[in-house]
Amino acid sequence: MNEPVNRDEMMESVALYALGVLPREEAALIAAFIANDLEARREYLDLRAAADAIAHSADEPVDSATSSRMKERLMARVRSAASGETARSRAQAAYPAWIWGMGLATAAAVVFSVVTVAQDVNLRGNLATAQRRIQVLAAQNSQIERVAAQDRRTLTDLLAPDAKRYEVAAGTVVVRRDRIYFAFSKLPAPPKGHVYQAWTAPKGSTTVAPSVTFAPNADGVAVVALPVDATRVGAVAVSVEPEGGSKAPTTTPTFIKPLT
Amino acid sequence: MDPGVRLMERVAARDVGAFEALYDGYHRLVFGIGLRMLGAPALAEDLTQTVFMKIWTAPEAFRGGSFVGWVSRVARNRALDVLRSKAVHPESEIPADLPLEGALDDDVFSRLDAQRVRDALSTLPPEQRALIELGFFGGVTHQELARRTDTPLGTVKTRIRSGLRRMREALGERVSR
Repeated sequence: MNEPVNRDEMMESVALYALGVLPREEAALIAAFIANDLEARREYLDLRAAADAIAHSADEPVDSATSSRMKERLMARVRSAASGETARSRAQAAYPAWIWGMGLATAAAVVFSVVTVAQDVNLRGNLATAQRRIQVLAAQNSQIERVAAQDRRTLTDLLAPDAKRYEVAAGTVVVRRDRIYFAFSKLPAPPKGHVYQAWTAPKGSTTVAPSVTFAPNADGVAVVALPVDATRVGAVAVSVEPEGGSKAPTTTPTFIKPLT
Repeated sequence: MDPGVRLMERVAARDVGAFEALYDGYHRLVFGIGLRMLGAPALAEDLTQTVFMKIWTAPEAFRGGSFVGWVSRVARNRALDVLRSKAVHPESEIPADLPLEGALDDDVFSRLDAQRVRDALSTLPPEQRALIELGFFGGVTHQELARRTDTPLGTVKTRIRSGLRRMREALGERVSR
């Protein structure tokens, strides 16, 4: 991968990020750079507007048959979903949840027995193989979608104008809604056999709880999402710890940042 | 204000009529992005269904700003998901998703239309325009752009940056006339 190595090259890559042509790892690196650099943020906002506008050029007439077919199919699904929502909300108001559970279990049992009776042994074997294959593909697909959704949320949070940013050594702590991120762009590699570890202190407390461990890449970049509810956290810190992490800090923290 | 924003408020209140109006107003854009990125009308049709069903089932995902910018990014990201799941290109050649929030909230840009954008694109030197269009709709990384166009990577970066800047200027001038 041709990763940018200095500020000028990073600035050049801001346009690539705005256009959406950077691979994931490099996009995360540039997102961290943009989050930490005012000039880069300005350039990004300017060029992103131009990149977004390009989508308009795809707005062309769709042939009427396709357009009608798509609309018919979609509106049928939406009307069905809407009537289901209405019926569900009425029914849920009328019956406790356990009755619904029993009803669904009964329906599932009936469907299962009908399917079982209808199939011969050979077909069942083929069906089982096909179902296993579908399950594997569905699991792979949902894994891809989960990772992509997580990436989207992280990048969105890092760049959001309403995010709170706290400057710390080698980077920024970004807080948005109930989420906290560390975006480091110049973090030195930890000593051999050691990692960085995040710590969080609940609001109104000075006792820290251990959080995730991490290490920067070769360029000193690390983007870390802390698995905590930001609304309950009063301060965050980072220290160097032995691989595997510690239950309490064993070295002087590289920073302690109150989240005011 | 982008009319999609008002319609989205009504969709969030489960107004089927508003959803239908939203579809009428924006399906060409979503279908067009799908068609240019996936190359097949059937895939573009599926993508359009998926994007609009997502809008109906999770309208809270839209958190303000320009609706047209947001829905374009949703459509592009979804098309990238399709490219990944179909392994049309190796994963390493497919770029990261675009962040969804805060896009195109500039009031000037909310008055853009397809013709204005095509006019602005036509002001770019052909080598810049080709890279920018292939970059946005091709679903590939800048390294792959360099390979496909047989252009050095540094030149690809410079052309995209210069092209986007010219594009921004051209659009700014056109809409403020």
